[in-house]
This record gives sequence, C-alpha cells and structure tokens, in this order.
Amino acid sequence: MTKLLATTALASLIATGAFASELTVGAANVSSYLDPGRDHSNVGSQFYYNAFDTLIAKNHDTTDTEWLPGLATEWKLINPTVMELKLREGVKFHNGEDMTADDVVFSLNRMYQADFPPYQVRARDRLGNFEKAEKIDDYTVRITAKRPEPLWETLLNLQQVMIIPLDYTKSLAGDPDKIEHDDYEAFSLKPVGTGPYKVVDFVPGERVVWERFDDFWGEKAPLDKVTVKHMPETASRITSLKTGEADIVTNIAPDQLGLIENDPDMKAAGSATALFHVMIMNVNHPKLKDPRIRQAMSLAIDRDTLNEALWGGKAVVPSTHTLKEFGELYQPELTTFEYNPEKAKELLKEAGYDGFEITYDTAPSYYTNGVLAAQAIMEMWAEVGIEGRVNVQDKWSGSSADMMARNWSNPMYFADPFGSFGVMWAPHGPSESEGRFNTDEDYAKAWEQFRFSGDTELRRAAYAELMERIKQDPPVLPLYRPYESWAMKTNIDWAPKPGHIPYVLDFRAGSIAVN
Amino acid sequence: MLTYVLRTLVKMAITLVVIVSLVFFATRLSGNPVDFVLGEGITREDRELLIAYYGLDASIGTQYWRYLASVFSGEFGLSFLERRPVSQIVLGRAWPSLKLLLSAVSFTLIVSVPLGILAAIYRTSIVGSVVMVIAFLGYAVPAFIIGILLVLIFGYTLNWLPVIGDGSALHFIMPTLAISGMLVAAITRFTRNAMLDVLSQDYMRTARAKGLPEWIVILKHGLRNASITLLSVIGLQIAGLAAAGSVVVEAIFAWPGIGDLLVRSAILRDYPVLQFGVLSVAIVVIVINATVDIAYAYADPRIRLAKG
Repeated sequence: MTKLLATTALASLIATGAFASELTVGAANVSSYLDPGRDHSNVGSQFYYNAFDTLIAKNHDTTDTEWLPGLATEWKLINPTVMELKLREGVKFHNGEDMTADDVVFSLNRMYQADFPPYQVRARDRLGNFEKAEKIDDYTVRITAKRPEPLWETLLNLQQVMIIPLDYTKSLAGDPDKIEHDDYEAFSLKPVGTGPYKVVDFVPGERVVWERFDDFWGEKAPLDKVTVKHMPETASRITSLKTGEADIVTNIAPDQLGLIENDPDMKAAGSATALFHVMIMNVNHPKLKDPRIRQAMSLAIDRDTLNEALWGGKAVVPSTHTLKEFGELYQPELTTFEYNPEKAKELLKEAGYDGFEITYDTAPSYYTNGVLAAQAIMEMWAEVGIEGRVNVQDKWSGSSADMMARNWSNPMYFADPFGSFGVMWAPHGPSESEGRFNTDEDYAKAWEQFRFSGDTELRRAAYAELMERIKQDPPVLPLYRPYESWAMKTNIDWAPKPGHIPYVLDFRAGSIAVN
Repeated sequence: MLTYVLRTLVKMAITLVVIVSLVFFATRLSGNPVDFVLGEGITREDRELLIAYYGLDASIGTQYWRYLASVFSGEFGLSFLERRPVSQIVLGRAWPSLKLLLSAVSFTLIVSVPLGILAAIYRTSIVGSVVMVIAFLGYAVPAFIIGILLVLIFGYTLNWLPVIGDGSALHFIMPTLAISGMLVAAITRFTRNAMLDVLSQDYMRTARAKGLPEWIVILKHGLRNASITLLSVIGLQIAGLAAAGSVVVEAIFAWPGIGDLLVRSAILRDYPVLQFGVLSVAIVVIVINATVDIAYAYADPRIRLAKG
C-alpha cells in the first residue's frame, strides 16, 4: 500500500513539474469579492494588479516615484484643476471589448460621483477632491478637480480607479443598457479588466484562477495559468510546497522562517510591509484626557525590543509616522516617537496617575503577533508603573467611548503621507469621527497645507507640524512595519516589489521567473 | 409504526419553527457586522451608509419579516461579504463536507464495531487490553493534533499523501483519520460495553445450547441486541460531528467545506450566512435524531408498541 501511495505521489510531482509555466499559490486568505473600486483590504490587494490597469502606471522596482504610461499614454494639466489624458489605442478588455474614453469616464465617475454605498465609502477619504471625468473624443478624457491637486499622478495610479468595461458591467444585471447597483454587485463576482491575466474562475473565499490574456497591450504575461487556493493552516501551506501542491505560499509567520531557510527544497522572500501596526489611544477617555498620561504610555514602550523578540529584528521601527515609499515626503529626521522610561515615570508623576487600570484591546489573531505584542507592552508599562490589562475580543472597539488603547494598522493605500497618516488622521476623518481624536483650526490649517500645497517644502513643513501636534497630544504610536514573508520552491524567483502597496501578488512580465 | 413515525416528524417540524426564529434573534444579539472587521476605520457617516446598504437600518420587525421571506424563497438572503445568495454559497460547500463526514463515519463503523466486539470477547486477555488502550488514546488526543501530526509525517516528511483539498481519493485518507480518531475511540468503547451486557444474557447460552456456530451466536444474537444501545450513541456522535467537529480538520486540510465558511461568518457577523449555517446544523441534528428514533423503533418492537 505504501509503495502504491509513494508511486502515485511521485507521478503527480512529475506531472506538476512538466507544466512549468503553471503555478499554484497557497494563500492564507482569499477575497470574498473582486472589485478594485470598493476594496482596500490587505486580502484584496493581492489580486488586482495582475488583472487590472490604471491610467498612469508606476515603476514598482523602486521606492522612488517614477510614473510610467499606463492606459493613458500622455497627460498634461490644461489649468490648475483640469488634466487632459490621451488614452492608449488598441487596448482590449478580457471579454474582447475595446477600451475607449467611455469606459474610462465610467470607471472614474463611478468613484468620483459615487452613489453606490461601497464606492461612496471608499471614494470619500481619498478621491474627495475630484469632481468629474469627461469624454472629449474616443481617446481623450478630461478630469476636473475641485481644488488644485498636487497628487494627480498618485491618485490616478490608485487601485480604486483601475479601469473596468462599461458595456460589460451594464449587461450584468437588470436592464442591459443601464448601470444599476446590482451590476456592481455582479461585477465583483465576475471581474473583467485589461491586465495581462484574466480571471477565469473565482470562488469567493476559496479560489482565484488567472490565465494569460493574449491580447494584453503590453509585455505578455510570463505564466500560462496561476491558481490561488485558500490554505488557512500555516503548517499545511508549508507542507504543500513539499508535496508539490503549491509553488508559492503567503503569510509565513516569522517563527517559521528558520525552518524554510534550512530546507533545501524551499526558500523565503519578504519585506517590511508598507503599513504600520499601531497602538491607538483614546484622547477623549475621561481617564486619559491628560496628554502626559498618553505620552507616558507611548514612551514606556521599547519598540526595538518588540522587534527583536517578535520579528527577529526584521521589522522596521519608525521615529515618526513616515515610510520610505513616500519619496520626497519621507522624513526620517523627525523624532515624534521614542523610548524613554525615565521620562514616562516623570510624566506619570506630574499627571498624578493613581494606578488606575488601562485596558489594551486586541483581536485574537487578526494582526500577526498582535496578542504577543500586547502582552509585552503590558510588561513594559508595568516597568514604569502603569497598570495595564490586555482585553482580547473580536469586536472593533475603536468607535467605542470606553476604549482606552488598542492595536490597529495604518496601511499605505498609496505612496504619499496622505495615503497613510492622511487617510486615518484627517480632520473629520475616521479617527476623529469615531470620537477618539480631536482636531482644531490650527491642525486643519496645517493639514490643508500638507494635503494641497503644490510646494514639496511647504508640504514637508506642514507634515512636520502635524507630527509635532501628535507628539504633544498623542492619539497613536506606530509600533513597527511588520515583516511579511512568502515561501516558495527553490525553482521560483519571486519577491514582493518595493514600489507596490502591501501584499500585491505581482506576476507580470519581469516580476516572476520559473527555472 | 406509522403513527410513531408521524409523531416524530411533527415534533421535528415544531422544533424547526422555533429554531428558525431563535436563530434570527440570537445572531442579532451578538453584535452589528459594521462593528466587526467590515467597519474598521471609517467615519460615522460612512458607517450609517453601510448599515443602510446591508438593510440593517430597518426595524427589527421588518428585518424578521424579510428573513422569513428569504427562508421561504429558499435563497436565505444575500451574504454581506460575498453579495450572492446564501443558498448558492452553501450549495458549493455542503457536498465536500458531507463526503468527508460519510467517509469518516464509514471508516469508524468498519473499524470500531469489530474492535469493540473483540475487546468484549477477549476482555480478559491481552487483545482486549490493547484495543482499550488504543481506544483511550484516541479519545484523549484532539483531532487537530492527529491532523497536524499526519500532515508532518505523511505530507512534510514522507511526501506520500496530498494535504490540500478534496481532489482525489488519496486526499480523503488523512482528514478521515483525523476526524475519526475520537469517534473510533468512543464507538469501540460503547460497542464493547454493549456487547458485555448482552454476552452474559441467558438467551446467549440458549443459542449456544442449540448448537449454533459461535460466530452466529455473537453476530446474530449478540450484536443485534447490542445494536439498540449502539444506535443512539452513534447517532449522537455523528450529530455532534456534523455540528462542529470537522471545522478544525477542514482548516488544516484546506477542505472546501462548510466549516471555514461558518467560522468566518461568525467572526464577521455575516448574519445571512450565519443564520443559514446554524439552521442547517440544527436541521442535520434534528434529522439524525429523528432517524435514530425511527431506527430504534424498528430495531426494538417494545418501543414502537409502547409509544404507538
């Protein structure tokens, strides 16, 4: 019997090897829907780049900002609030339709003038400055902003404004000549784009299958077929590389890296992901109103020790809310957050902290190392005399008035401080709206200058001012950029590219090789 | 007999109606989906927008009415996450789970009934002791440990068996073993005890005195009578397994079953899926219980005569 099993397994191994340009990816999570417009989740961002294009593309090999022609071949400002774009001719959607200005105007306006709630929610925090897109002729469109926009290219390179086909979407549900909300719902189960791979099979939460799209306008895809399968258990994901059932697997925990690196059949690739795991503090909690208490909660945390202990030193601990990907807006010279237990003790004394309990909420498994970090933070708090307690629960407590502190993440939705800090901590943005962060006129003024100024130096100065405000009255402490790893068979050459948003599975030409 | 069957079916229907309503209110008491991962980091205004989008802004009465309508339409509503009818989502996942359940139950019966009989007959010898030690071990080791151990041995180290999905017959071996561990242990012990009760009965001696061969005495007169006790135990064990038992094993082997779906919908409060999940598990348990009741009556005339 065992002999038979071994032979069969061997046969299937050989069979997989023979089709070298077909890959199987084992993913810890697979999306419940696929619509680049309504999605900004870490699970979703894995899946869009292979199948969809933006008007303006980006060189993802570098963290420097280098814009490239995408579905638009050229673009120019015709006045401070209007941009005109020439569209690439001969671009086909996966269903065979030609891409024209109608598709582009439709894709943009479904976000700019959203009336479908999931689009409204997604557009508000980042696309609020865009009024409309208009067709000039079949291959020319104009986009109008409400105010002069310093981030034109960045905001036309977003996943949320990837281009989808108008006629196809209309035909999906209800009246085939009209766009209805049900069309959007149906699209998210049968997505069609212009990218080098088409989605040929999608079972929500279970499986995504891409095939090479031969009519792609750019360099053809290097793989014939990629199947992404849901494999929730880490041990099984890693084993699937040994049994030949997968070629690449996602979400390898830091403590598994040793095992993979010591195995001649496997290797790992990873990077410090472009997002921060953060601790948030409720500035309006009656017991935490005194900023000195929150400063102490922050100063007491030795983030370098967390990094060494939990991430093997591979995470990145920031001195301020800044990421290398921000290009000219990267400001590592600012020191907004530091470790200083002596100062923490002093501040607690000054504030008259009487030893009341401070709760720290965390979900049981949502963030890698989330609970371990919480427990370590409680120890660090105890060192300076703070009485802390970890509260493990699934519920999002960030909108509750009783929340004192908890973990959260601030992803980089696009490579600009506006795409990270700017989304979560804008005046009237999510944090203030949930009642755990306050802004005033001065903050709003600095934020306006940081968001809308056309002068990089002024933007930098305004951002520094915002960071000083955060330091004086802290609502947040970025803990680290977590180190995220993928494992693969040794014959695969793949690694996350530095210019992407987090978690993108990029299998386009030049991004993957099978030996 | 017919009255008895009818009575069982009516009881079953009443239980179902109660459960349908309980499920609706229980899921709503557990919290709002927008407060779970769906709504992380959005403004209050957008939160209201999403609550309306999911139809959760309507009064509880209206929502209950819509829910009943969706149950009777057979679609069970749209999943909050996947935005497609729940019936369609579950349909794709029910069969893989059922296949695994059938595989585990068949394996269990084939292994544990003979083992139990052996343990009863040879209860004083080493054979009986060995069987019982194995049975106790199986009872003490949880399914996920067996599952992970199997993955490490037959997948990671030996590369003999596939670990992902339900693609071929080979894929069934490890998940079936993992799920069956506890079940085999339980049924073996119950079979042994039931057989022990029966073996000392007077009619066994009579059967032997008639000059029947020993295997007929054991199987026909012994096992047949022991099976009455066994039936209800097996029914309960399978019901328990169908309700929750295979969630972890399905996750380990990336089995495209219903377990993962239920866990996800429970964490994210995807009410429509959660409701359907709880409901279908309840139905499975009720149907299994009713089947056992009826089988019981069939096996033991005293039951159907007493109640009918």
